Amino acid sequence: MHSSNSLSVFLTTILVSIRLQAAEPAASPSSNEEIHQQLLEMQQSIQEMQTHHQAELDALKKQIADQQSVIDSMKQGSPALPAPPTPPDSKVAPKDSTPAFPTTDASIVPESGGVLPPGNQSPGNQPPASPPAAGNMFPTTDSSVVANGAPATGPSPGLVPAPGLIGGGAPKGSYLNISFDAVVVGAASSDANLNTLEVGDHDPQQRGFNARNIELALDGAVDPYFEGFANIVFKLDNNNQTEVEVEEAFGQTTDLPFGLQAKAGQFFTQFGRINPTHPHTWDFVDAPLVQGLLLGPDGLRGVGAQIAWVIPVPFYSQAILALQNGQGGTGYSFRNPGDTGTFFERQTIDRQTDGLSDLVVTPRLEASYDLTSTQTILGGVSAAFGPNDTGYNTSTQIYGVDLFYKWKPADAEGGWPFVKWQSEAMYRRYEAGQGLDNTFPVAETFHDWGAYSQVVWGFHKGWAAGLRGDYMHMQTSDVTNDPQRQSRSRVSTDLTWYPSEFSKFRLQYNYDMLQSNAFLPSRDENSVFLMYEIALGAHGAHKF
Amino acid sequence: MKHSIPMLLTVLAAFTGTARAKLSVVTTLADYAALAREIGGDHVDITSMAKPTEDPHFVDARPSFVVKLRSADILIEGGAELEVGWLPPLLQTARNPKLEAGAVGRVQAAEGIRLLDVPATLSRAAGDVHASGNPHFMVDPIIAKAVAAHIARAFAAADPANAASYATNEKKFEATIDAKLQDWGRALLPFRGQHLAAYHDDWLYFARRFGFDVDVFLEPKPGVPPSPSHLAEVIGKIKAEKIKAIIVEPYHNRKIAEKVASSTGAHVVEAAQYPDGLPNTATYVELIDVLVTRLTTALKN
Repeated sequence: MHSSNSLSVFLTTILVSIRLQAAEPAASPSSNEEIHQQLLEMQQSIQEMQTHHQAELDALKKQIADQQSVIDSMKQGSPALPAPPTPPDSKVAPKDSTPAFPTTDASIVPESGGVLPPGNQSPGNQPPASPPAAGNMFPTTDSSVVANGAPATGPSPGLVPAPGLIGGGAPKGSYLNISFDAVVVGAASSDANLNTLEVGDHDPQQRGFNARNIELALDGAVDPYFEGFANIVFKLDNNNQTEVEVEEAFGQTTDLPFGLQAKAGQFFTQFGRINPTHPHTWDFVDAPLVQGLLLGPDGLRGVGAQIAWVIPVPFYSQAILALQNGQGGTGYSFRNPGDTGTFFERQTIDRQTDGLSDLVVTPRLEASYDLTSTQTILGGVSAAFGPNDTGYNTSTQIYGVDLFYKWKPADAEGGWPFVKWQSEAMYRRYEAGQGLDNTFPVAETFHDWGAYSQVVWGFHKGWAAGLRGDYMHMQTSDVTNDPQRQSRSRVSTDLTWYPSEFSKFRLQYNYDMLQSNAFLPSRDENSVFLMYEIALGAHGAHKF
Repeated sequence: MKHSIPMLLTVLAAFTGTARAKLSVVTTLADYAALAREIGGDHVDITSMAKPTEDPHFVDARPSFVVKLRSADILIEGGAELEVGWLPPLLQTARNPKLEAGAVGRVQAAEGIRLLDVPATLSRAAGDVHASGNPHFMVDPIIAKAVAAHIARAFAAADPANAASYATNEKKFEATIDAKLQDWGRALLPFRGQHLAAYHDDWLYFARRFGFDVDVFLEPKPGVPPSPSHLAEVIGKIKAEKIKAIIVEPYHNRKIAEKVASSTGAHVVEAAQYPDGLPNTATYVELIDVLVTRLTTALKN
């Protein structure tokens, strides 16, 4: 607009100067008549010039205003923007009449008080008084609902219409999705030491209130090639001190061919069914025994890299191979120096990563099949191999099988009703060496195995009941006195109420039976948990 | 052992390399599948993931869908958050570059459609609202025509050899809808301006097209199950506004609707948003036919 002002000032100056010149008398007056005639002619030509300039000026002004409106309309990502950004000339030109300079712009004001052409009006509550176009009594088009007026037969450069046009016009999604999830558990138990009775680090650790899983999840597309995910967990310990853990933080490819996907960072190992998942997706308050005792209280996870391949067969099948450090508490059965520098009573050797053989290798193969249109099974076999810290040349192998079944009827409302049956069995071969400087009297090989099986029945919208059986067999030893090496079983039952998709209450009862061994007596324990969970932020999607 | 690798490769090639004459189309919902069938005819293979009788907000991300998506040329989805709870992990595992956001093969039906009820402020206190607006827009036949055109453009772009056929089918569909709109409009004309009740707030596009006002809902807020106190309020409103019909869908709790109906004198209208969600509604036109018939029957009483 500024440029148009200065232009008009400039033109006005020229006109004024011409007028001034014209007002001066001529040099040699030979005859008054002649002079008068000349003056008249000059006046006439000046007037002509003035009109000419004025017309030019108007045209310029219009052009500028016009361009401005195009710029405005392009800037405006408003809900009203009905058409994909196309070249300005076609954009501004209205569909039907074509005056040189448009006086309205449907792309900016689509519904300006019923100025829509007849037959295009939304019927609303007013029946059309007279048959509109094409002899149709009822309208067959409605420009107020279909913003993208491009005809189907036209060229399709705008195959994907203007981004952000859906609904409100604000851009969809965001660079970073943030969600927050908090789990609070009130616990009562016959065992004063819930932290040893429960096997998972997110499980209740004491009688009273527990907040062991407050997580912040971040995810988004990094660029056209990668997407990123991070899960930062805050845990309140029994003294209400906050522990922070980077539970997961990884990038993964989105663009590899042949159904391949690579991932690198800190991530949960794809071993079995429950290990790679976050506690708020679990069907019970606490971790199954095999999960906590064989893969570890924190779950098996670590810094590493993974490649996954969707195998091109007619049913779903995926092969996954991960390579991770497996060092520290999150590599529990591997190079784990233990919290107090001991593991299975041995003084641990803090073995560093010297080569590939020091890493944990985890292959997994999973497959799924739809039994019927309402029943699906998903099964997998996993293994994890790596060295452990109880000897100079000791290693661990863990094998697992998992099976998941789900039934959901064809007329399910909000995901209800449903039946889910999930089972996992694991076997661990643990070579326990003689510890640092061979200070432990013997080397042993533990063959430990266990399984859990759980059924969850969503019997009424928002309600689910669950039953779980757990068994853990720890090989007996006359020399290794470790409370973790007590064979045990557990029965759990729970009832969950989901007021909405984003909150839930869960009441759970656990009956634990711990068997005697060379060092520990048998005992039974009863525990009751009441869990409350809230989820905020980005709508998480549910994996099968 | 020597032979096993080449043999494995041959088997894999047999699975993957089958010459695909037809365009492979996957749709999230049955309504898009019905339109894709109209447009694609014999040139396309169509799989719909959600069942027509199932709540489209909560579909299980079954791994078998990954297999379909992995080899699909086209994915047709609503794109207005209706499928946000189950589609993303499927696409993440399918890793099909043809279906990437912005690719020719990714059809988001809501694009170009002006959605209603776009929330001014986002809060889950309002229930299960969608930030992009109400995504149940396909029951407006005029919108269905626009989506059909969108699908036809995508098919033509992905399969130029049959572009003419897709364009012809699209024109045919458009003409059918234009003619049918006259029938439907005439049938529903006597009931214009009437108020209706529905279980879930997903009939606003249908109501706008045919001049109804669906303004009483058995759910207190979208996705929130009816509470006794809310139902008492609903019964009062139905009586006060002399509402004659309560629209329920296959996955809604029919018993609740029946209870409200019996204490108000209104009729329960079993409806569906998706072709094949009701008997004899294999196509989009048949579905709207049945909806119009059922509504007029209920409202005549």
